[in-house]
Amino acid sequence: MSNKMYQTHSLLDIWIQENNELVNKWKQQEGGDALSRHPSQNQTHLRLCSSEFNKLLRKIQGIPPLADHTQLELTVVYNACVCSMAQSQFSEAQLLLQQATERVLQMTGDDPVASDPTGFWRTVLKSVGNTALTPCVLSLLCLQWAIWLSTCQLKTIQEFQDELFSVFETLSTGVWDEGRREPRGKSSDIPLLVMDPRRLVELLQICTLIAQGAERLSEGRSSEALSGLQSAFSLPAPRTLIAYTHLLSGSCLAHMSRPQMALQCYRKALETDSQCVCALYQSMLIYRQLGNTQAEIQALRLLHSTLTLPSATEPALAGTHLLSPSLLLCSRSLSSLLSVPSALSVLHNLALNCVLHGRLSEGVEYYLDLLAALHSEDQHGVHAEGPPLPRLPELYLQAGAALLMARRPADCMALCDEVITTTLELLPEKVVLEEPEEECEAETKALSAGGEDEKVRMLLWAGAAYLLQGHCYTHLKDWKPAVTHYTRCFNLLVKVRFKKRGLQPQIPSADVVGKQGTDLCILQRLKGLSLAGRGISFTQTDQLREALRDLQLSMQALPECAGAGLWCGEVLWRLGRRREAAACWEKTWSFTPQPSVESLSVYLQEPQSGPLLDSMELRRRIQELGPTSSA
Amino acid sequence: MSPVGVEFIVSVYNFCSPELKAPRADASSSPAELKISSEFLVAAEEGVLSLLVVGSVLLTLSQRDVFWTLTLYKSSNYEKLSSFSRVSGVVHNDAEGKMGRRRRPALICVLSSDATPPCSSSTSSSEATLSDGHVRLEPVLFKLLFGIDVALAKSPVILCGLPDGCLCFLPLRLPGSRLRVLRSLEQPVVFVGASAPGQCLVAVGEQGRVVLIKTDKEGGGHKTVFIEGCVPAPVMCGCVDKNTLYYSTGSDLLLLDLSEGSTAREGQERDEETRSKTDAALQSPTSLNVCRIVALAVSACNTAVELLGLCVRGQLQRITLPVGREDATLSKVPSTQGGRSVRDLLSAIGDVCERASVLKSAIKSKNQILQHLNQVLNISFLLTASTHSEEQLPIQQKPIRCHARTGWSRLLQEDSLNLTCVLDNSSPYVLERGWTLSVALFPLSCPPSEGGESSSAHFSFPFHNLHPGQTFEVSLPLAAAGDASFPMTVSCSLIFSLTSLLGEEAADLAGLQSSCVSLPLNTLTVDWLHALQVNSPTATPEKVTSQTSNPTDAIQDFLMSRQIRGSGRAEGGGERADQYSASVRVSAQLLRDTLLLKSSDLDPQGPKLAPQNVCLSLLDWLLSEGAGGVTTGRQGDKVALCSSGIHARGPNGHAVKLTAKEVNVGEESTGKEESPTTVEVQVQSSSIAAVCGLHHAVLRRVQTLLQRAPASTKSVQSLGLRRSLQRAERLLQEIQQSRISVAFGMGASTGQMTRTLLSVYRELRENPLLIM
Repeated sequence: MSNKMYQTHSLLDIWIQENNELVNKWKQQEGGDALSRHPSQNQTHLRLCSSEFNKLLRKIQGIPPLADHTQLELTVVYNACVCSMAQSQFSEAQLLLQQATERVLQMTGDDPVASDPTGFWRTVLKSVGNTALTPCVLSLLCLQWAIWLSTCQLKTIQEFQDELFSVFETLSTGVWDEGRREPRGKSSDIPLLVMDPRRLVELLQICTLIAQGAERLSEGRSSEALSGLQSAFSLPAPRTLIAYTHLLSGSCLAHMSRPQMALQCYRKALETDSQCVCALYQSMLIYRQLGNTQAEIQALRLLHSTLTLPSATEPALAGTHLLSPSLLLCSRSLSSLLSVPSALSVLHNLALNCVLHGRLSEGVEYYLDLLAALHSEDQHGVHAEGPPLPRLPELYLQAGAALLMARRPADCMALCDEVITTTLELLPEKVVLEEPEEECEAETKALSAGGEDEKVRMLLWAGAAYLLQGHCYTHLKDWKPAVTHYTRCFNLLVKVRFKKRGLQPQIPSADVVGKQGTDLCILQRLKGLSLAGRGISFTQTDQLREALRDLQLSMQALPECAGAGLWCGEVLWRLGRRREAAACWEKTWSFTPQPSVESLSVYLQEPQSGPLLDSMELRRRIQELGPTSSA
Repeated sequence: MSPVGVEFIVSVYNFCSPELKAPRADASSSPAELKISSEFLVAAEEGVLSLLVVGSVLLTLSQRDVFWTLTLYKSSNYEKLSSFSRVSGVVHNDAEGKMGRRRRPALICVLSSDATPPCSSSTSSSEATLSDGHVRLEPVLFKLLFGIDVALAKSPVILCGLPDGCLCFLPLRLPGSRLRVLRSLEQPVVFVGASAPGQCLVAVGEQGRVVLIKTDKEGGGHKTVFIEGCVPAPVMCGCVDKNTLYYSTGSDLLLLDLSEGSTAREGQERDEETRSKTDAALQSPTSLNVCRIVALAVSACNTAVELLGLCVRGQLQRITLPVGREDATLSKVPSTQGGRSVRDLLSAIGDVCERASVLKSAIKSKNQILQHLNQVLNISFLLTASTHSEEQLPIQQKPIRCHARTGWSRLLQEDSLNLTCVLDNSSPYVLERGWTLSVALFPLSCPPSEGGESSSAHFSFPFHNLHPGQTFEVSLPLAAAGDASFPMTVSCSLIFSLTSLLGEEAADLAGLQSSCVSLPLNTLTVDWLHALQVNSPTATPEKVTSQTSNPTDAIQDFLMSRQIRGSGRAEGGGERADQYSASVRVSAQLLRDTLLLKSSDLDPQGPKLAPQNVCLSLLDWLLSEGAGGVTTGRQGDKVALCSSGIHARGPNGHAVKLTAKEVNVGEESTGKEESPTTVEVQVQSSSIAAVCGLHHAVLRRVQTLLQRAPASTKSVQSLGLRRSLQRAERLLQEIQQSRISVAFGMGASTGQMTRTLLSVYRELRENPLLIM
């Protein structure tokens, strides 16, 4: 009998020793050069550890459950589970937990009655009672909690929340240490753990609060989410997670239309964790919403520089290497809140905003940076969430327009040349533009790969490039090539036949107006602008008849084109048709500039750099003409 | 000059040639092993099937489950940049994966020919075009295939032909780019390439589908055309040089002209024409008659087209085609003559060496088989001839014969009798592989207990080359103690099977499996005398114990000795009813003439042998002489023969006593005549079976003795003839009486009759006639 006792004890000791050796080896590897090493090597080591723990566990579970062995067994289960979960193998971990708890019940003699997980765990906790095993079972419960959290079973957590948070209380009040010291005196006899359950439970608590907050926010229960998050501020947790709580609070406040308070929260998040770019992005969105363009540009600039900086990986908290917050926080609602557009997209936004809001030289620089980045060898098609970057020809044209605005016509022409040479060979003889159906408009835009659509788009890009080149020559007061380029633009545009549903394709007449943003709208706009440009060029070379024809056609295609209206009046005036001229001017002034123009691409806007007519002068002329006009 | 301007040279480098081996002798035996430590690990990724380096980026294409993943690494520090996944269209069967032969996807990098090379460090663009190994495409085709954004960004495009048949592309430097499908070949893509001017992108599927992707001018604008065709399959590998696609089907290397159709651009009609021409070219690729190529590459050579091919057997072949390819429009040459002459020419060069070596080895093996067969036939003739003339040839003179030796052995406290059969080849022929010695054992008469069914045992011993003069010895169990019936016939034969002659080829033919030739050798008889276990009669129990070295045998020996003594007492007392005996009387003169003459050759004292010695030598001869080719392997014979009696144990465990003594059997009335001395051999045992068996054996032996005896010694004498006759008559009467009583079914029971017959038998055996 005594001999047998001795044997089992020594077996237990061997197993404990084996477990401790594994844990020590892991800690040594992890502590030594975890950062300098290849992540894949870490993964390999993790896999190795996991399989070793599993092997040991199989050995231990090979014999029926004994009270003497249970503490060791549960410790090894804990270690094996942590290793599995660190490799995102949650179902394996779940299985291990299930088996282990069933063995505990078998040992205590209770039957596992409840089929639902919460009921099952309640049974387990009750059957263990307040024995030496409690800390072990509690640490396993922590792992169950982690599994629930990382598999987004927030409802289960909600049901079991009281018990879970009491675990937190129990473990943090030192029951752990007492419970573990009780059975044995020597420290070498205590089976070690790969990760301190107290650290784990801390992590779990804040992660749960964050995940719940994100879930409630996405369900529109902002105030509820906010109150939940308030309690998380003071928890002991890594900076990143605290910053998340601030960020989420900010989002809640933004949803509750309290932008200023939201901004405060975002600022707090940034103060807590300077790497929290999503806070920066969210504040930028708020500034945009508030119409504070200077602040928006500032935020964009900060965001861009933060994104392009090499991200300094913050050393993880000691003892939490294995189960990182990112492993626990994988709910979709949270990740959509945390998503940030790519650096290139931010840069484009920044450039466009600068150009649109008069910070031209700055905007041009950003555009050039953007183009350089796109051509750089370090660009590797990184796919990020958020709004996609516009198509490349579009970017070229925007940059070209910005260059022209900044009075760099030569650079603008070079960019346009690029677009033209790329597209020229592919341009079709004629192309049919179909009226998009109302309901599936968005989808047709999304399916950009379609052959006909792509052809139309290419044609419009080439046309726009010619238009910009015409503008450049106009800017240089070189009228002849300006006329040539405007003509090229127009000639391309007439290749497009417009097809209304149920009708034959035809060249769209001037009065067909497309909806904002559609290809048809762009087509009409390009037509109007090119005709206006050519008309104005003709006026400069005193070809007034041609000028008048073009300008009138332009006004048909694009009634709101101010330049065409004014210059048309001017031509009429020069031709001696003063009344018509005055009427034309009056009509042009009566058009209020539509806000929608803002949403159009920069290159589709009327050039600011051409020959100008002084409105005061024109009004004076009308004044002079006054009596007769009123009559 | 040959009429058709196609000539090419195949140079062969053998990877295993001794010149290429490492100079050190020990290294040449096994390939050198390089240890690569984990610090050289670039990417710990599973299932990587293809690799490509583009500028500063290392690309890996891997398959995991149903996902194809293209992963980008920075080639300076192997930092993972990004990865793109795609679900495989057709999940391949696991068997293929388990076989270890996973198809390798084709992975290439395509650039627009107006783009600058991706490698920033390259000095001149023209050189880089050649050296970087990336494919250049015409800008128009490039833009049409991959989009205008890719062209504007001047981004390289990664093209991969996957084993699920998809031809996918990924613009490398476009933000937000995805892995997209360009075309599906619906069969594993083996090769993706482009013609040198970049006018045509080619993808070849494993089952011979070729897709040519070109541009076509239609209505002013360009558009992509996909020309599909089928070529002989399976396609193992391919490469493109300028305008020609070379591909290997394993049995042939073929070329396909890609240039047609791309030159003409005048109009619709012309296009139709050229397209049909291209289709025709796809239909009829030109064969180059080089087989077993598994990998192909174009080697840089300005003067001629030079291909490097890797053969299945590890040979690197350089295949050179001449430059003058203007007249190499041979895909158009309709005459079969040209093609044939080329074919002849090529097949002459082809891989004659390889084919010849195969033929040579086939001839060699056939020759060997014929030689073998010749030997077999010789042996068969020899053996059949000897069986026909068996009467003339005694066993000892047969060219191929068997003889045997018996011996008792003790294993696991159980005695067993082993027969060692020795095949002696004294013929001039070699018994080669394929022969089997077959030994059949069956008792001469079967015991009644087995119901008349003969219990025979067969043993086969295949052997390799038995040269003239050599012997082949096999050992087989004859009987365990107590369960055999002697005498036993051992019949030996040689069996030859055709299967072993033809080897693997015969395995396919079911009919051949059982076909074999069986040739009987000779028949041996193992009788009771062979099976006797002789004890030393003088041995006391103590001596027996002390003699045995093995203490575990002590009890057994003790019991044995008790048994012998017991039987001895019974004999001495003469009270035992079941003590049977039989005797054989042989004239001493006969023995002297035969035995002593025979042994005189060996023993100079032979002729002066005392009468006592005649008895001894008779016993000695009986026990040790090989009768019928079987000898006994006893060791302690000399000890046993110190007296005229031998105590032994029969194979059924009963003690027997064999005695030989000189007796005078002259008739009293004829005392004047010199009565001839007679040697009587008496067999005594408690077992009647033993007595009968031994008696039979002794008689058999003496019979052979008579055959040997010189004829001159025989003289007719009437010694005790009358008495014998009287006895015989009396016995005959007894037998007849018992027969009558059986016939009338009265009086005597069967047991009684058996007793009567037994007593007759005993009387006959105890008073034998003298053998002169």
